[in-house]
Amino acid sequence: MNNVTDLVLDGNATANLLRQLFVPDITLAKIRCEACDCLSCVGSLTLYAAPMGVVLKCADCENVLMRVVETPHGLWLEMTGARNLRFVPDRE
Amino acid sequence: MDETHISRGFRSKRQEQASKNRLPPGQYVTTDFPVLSAGPTPQIKVADWTFALQLNGSLLGKWSWEEFEALPQTTIETDIHCVTKWSKLGTTWQGVTFDDLLKVVGLSQPPAPYIMAHCDGGYTTNVPVADLVGGRGMVVTRYEGLPIAPAHGGPARLLVPHLYFWKSGKWVRRIRFMQKDERGFWESLGYHNYGDPWKEQRYDGD
Amino acid sequence: MTVTDAVVSTRRIEWQLAEVRDLVIETPRVKSLLLRPADWPGHLAGQHVDVRLTAGDGYQAQRSYSIASAPEDELLALTVERVKDGEVSPYLLDELRAGDQLELRGPIGGYFVWTSASDAPLCLIAGGAGVTPLMAMLRHRNRSSSRAPAVLMYSTRSLEDVIYRDEIDAMARRDNSLRVVHALTREQPKDWRGHRGRIDKSMLAANCFPPSQNPAIYVCGPTAFVETVSGLLVELEFDPLNIKTERFGPSGE
Repeated sequence: MNNVTDLVLDGNATANLLRQLFVPDITLAKIRCEACDCLSCVGSLTLYAAPMGVVLKCADCENVLMRVVETPHGLWLEMTGARNLRFVPDRE
Repeated sequence: MDETHISRGFRSKRQEQASKNRLPPGQYVTTDFPVLSAGPTPQIKVADWTFALQLNGSLLGKWSWEEFEALPQTTIETDIHCVTKWSKLGTTWQGVTFDDLLKVVGLSQPPAPYIMAHCDGGYTTNVPVADLVGGRGMVVTRYEGLPIAPAHGGPARLLVPHLYFWKSGKWVRRIRFMQKDERGFWESLGYHNYGDPWKEQRYDGD
Repeated sequence: MTVTDAVVSTRRIEWQLAEVRDLVIETPRVKSLLLRPADWPGHLAGQHVDVRLTAGDGYQAQRSYSIASAPEDELLALTVERVKDGEVSPYLLDELRAGDQLELRGPIGGYFVWTSASDAPLCLIAGGAGVTPLMAMLRHRNRSSSRAPAVLMYSTRSLEDVIYRDEIDAMARRDNSLRVVHALTREQPKDWRGHRGRIDKSMLAANCFPPSQNPAIYVCGPTAFVETVSGLLVELEFDPLNIKTERFGPSGE
């Protein structure tokens, strides 16, 4: 049980960083890999590196798509490995 | 991550226990060995494994697994401290010291003040060379006398136990000398650039 | 989980967490902890558990405690007596709260156990907090249909130190086949007609079932108490093989 959706639903503290960062539901968002163009649903991605931070990798090519770290001095987000992130409206 | 159960409100009465003096601030001792990885565990065949020392564009040395195993071996017992607050005391590691690597490639002095460790899976971490020489850093292949399990960084990982354990990069394949310091994977996203557990340097800004 | 299942179980005993459901004050120096372990395999009366405390710096302390509850009881009960300058008992008695988790493993012990399947007369001799595993036996006996005759000889410093006093009295009142005899060693109420002072040879001779009936004898308490009593029992010609002992200390605290 290490994909983003399960961990978020389970209240996992590290996974909750993602929930805090985005207003719409991040587990339903789609993310496109900048290296291989593969499109993944964020919720299905394995969440690595807890509890140091969130690391999401492309399931196809393992390129790092997103990293999040929370420190006492601030919360960091890095997404240079993603071409884009798309939040799909509820009705679609 | 599995953590030893801590009994709420229980304080030990013994003042002079050895572990207290060996524990950096904010750490607790664990008897298990938690696994933390920034990606899936690479499945590395030692037949395909190589390790290199690199300076600028050229390789100072490159070893196959058999060649690396034939280098002078050193065994140490040490404490390790993870930035997530667990410490494991009295761990035993075997491998090749950074000093011996320099010797083997014919260097009496390190050629640059910094290194970046490059690891399978893309993980990187930067360490000042001063923190690797004098026996402070090793590339290790055995933990507690046995080959290091893949989840713990096998077949070979960097070991720099006097710094937080994220600096002991798992699945190390290449050590690249740098004239100027650059930040590695965690150092570039909020973690402290140096990481001294005794000064509790966990995060950038500590 | 039946008693028989617990006998047959050969699973490896691992540490597990138990939720503290309640703490019961038994005497000024004794409390019972009522616990719900995460994964309890059942136990036999007389067995014990190891309890482990871990401080934030990783320091650990471990002690053994006899199980006070019957195998049939819903919650696992441990009875803890305060040890002066102790390391673990002050934590369990003063700090631990309902809702906390306590790390334990067990059940441990195959020798000092009694099941209601045994129909020999039962002779239980307790010194102080040594009554705990014997209470598990009495509770088990009470819950099962066993009416093998039983006697509890219970030595404490004073009436105030008698653990489970009301429950033991009630058991004895309801059950003709159970007799309870108290020995108060230091302080006795003015109208006390029971035994004064330590359990001695004559008290044992007067209250234990005769050797000819081959009673199952269990002696539990501080080391000196157990050694003295078992010595006297052997002098009274009880078969040493029928005398089971459990020494409670010094605990090392």
